[in-house]
Amino acid sequence: MTNPFKLRLIAVTVAAMAIPMVATGPALAAQQLNGIFHIGAGSYIRMGLPNGGFFKNPYSKDANKTYTLIASGPGGGIRTNVVQNAPSPAFTAHGNSRANSIITPTNFTGILFGVITTVPPTFSLSGDTITGHLRHLYAQWNKQTFLQGNTVYGTYDSRNHHYVLSWHTTVQGGPFVGYIGYWRLQGTFSPS
Amino acid sequence: MKPVGALGHRRWPLAVLAVIGIGLVVAPLAFGMFSKAPDGASMMTSFSPFMTTHRLDGFQADMADVGNAVTQGQRAIHATGRTPAGARIVTHLAPQFGAFARQWRAVNSDMGGMLVTIKANLPNYQAVVALPSFRLFPWFFLIPGAILLLLAAAGLVRAAAWRGLRWVAVVIGVALVLAPVAFQMFSRAPKGARMMSTFKPIETLHHLRRIQSYFSDMAVGQGLVQLDLVPALRHSGLSASQIQDRYPALNTLDANWVHILNDMTPMIAAMSDNITNYQAISSLPSFRLFPWFFVLPGVIVIVIALLGDTRRRRGAADRGRSNVLNPVNQGVT
Repeated sequence: MTNPFKLRLIAVTVAAMAIPMVATGPALAAQQLNGIFHIGAGSYIRMGLPNGGFFKNPYSKDANKTYTLIASGPGGGIRTNVVQNAPSPAFTAHGNSRANSIITPTNFTGILFGVITTVPPTFSLSGDTITGHLRHLYAQWNKQTFLQGNTVYGTYDSRNHHYVLSWHTTVQGGPFVGYIGYWRLQGTFSPS
Repeated sequence: MKPVGALGHRRWPLAVLAVIGIGLVVAPLAFGMFSKAPDGASMMTSFSPFMTTHRLDGFQADMADVGNAVTQGQRAIHATGRTPAGARIVTHLAPQFGAFARQWRAVNSDMGGMLVTIKANLPNYQAVVALPSFRLFPWFFLIPGAILLLLAAAGLVRAAAWRGLRWVAVVIGVALVLAPVAFQMFSRAPKGARMMSTFKPIETLHHLRRIQSYFSDMAVGQGLVQLDLVPALRHSGLSASQIQDRYPALNTLDANWVHILNDMTPMIAAMSDNITNYQAISSLPSFRLFPWFFVLPGVIVIVIALLGDTRRRRGAADRGRSNVLNPVNQGVT
């Protein structure tokens, strides 16, 4: 193999790698998503049991009781860059959550649970992939608060604004320690 | 300033005193008491809402509510299923409810037994609560230990000072002996040891997982009663008042369910959140030994402080006798 041939081979290889990167570069640049993620049909939480299987919520509206269906509350869903904290008091005397900004408080084993955020969540879009910083999302139920946030991932269709987000978080402490909350939110995103 | 030896003192009493002082200072550090004792205090505080006769009776009443609903639910399914029309309505419920009834027997046996055990343990828990806070215990060792060390050091450096300081050592020794008596540790510490033994099989992750699964079983069972069985009985032709008359426990469970959840889940949370605290406190030496950790060094300190002085006096008396027998020793030269 001659030296000029080697040089040409290297040049072609570098060009082959660089051209697609340059071409797709602008499209992959992440952009902030600002607005409201409305929580629509098909959104749910499942509670994975520490020893396997899923918790059956008899009060779930789904035929499969391991899925507890959730939908937007009066606040419209998850608002980016906004804290949606619990009202005061956070619970009724029976332990039902009064937090209805993100989801409509939903029956879990006879007591309503709600969802709050204590730090403004942020979301970015890269291509059709959403990455969300939703680490400070909490579920409130029976006068107790459970950290359920995480870094979340999903997809977004900019043509119809349909999105899907999913994540899971292991409960730390409390009566459900070791349970894993599997969340899936889907619906439409309203840019602000 | 003269060293102790120059005055006819022996150094060993001060050395022993220093060793005891070091022992008392090092013991809480060696046992990790500064981190473990607060964990124990947290555990005792977390358990306090549940460790009352009233609350434990309430848990047993909750269990009875579920148990009665299981019994009457089975009876309702059996009675309704005797007619062809009723059988069509409740047939599909029979296997589900039967499964729940079987689960309930296991739940009731385990959790019911646990509640009986905890209730019997209540006096032991109360005895431990009556002791000073666990957070203070490391300081009960460290402070007298540090004082004894300072006294020993002062005695070694300045012999004359020891004559007065030894009485401070005696006071420290007496305090160490009396503290367990004042805090009734000889009766309470063994009760604390029994409390720890009782909680040993309860405060484990394995047991917590079982309790969590019981909670899941009970939630499913309550849902069966409220959402399936009672509507099925209504559908079979029974009025609400007939259901109440014949199977009151079904409605009682429904009425009390939120209260049961309000009761049970914080208890499970307390169990869950204190597993590591229990492990921390159980890794300390047995509670039974704690009174002796004060009394034994206390007695030794008292004896050393008094004996050290006695030996000096005896030495002086011997010298006095020697002087009478041998006037040369009186400086007559």
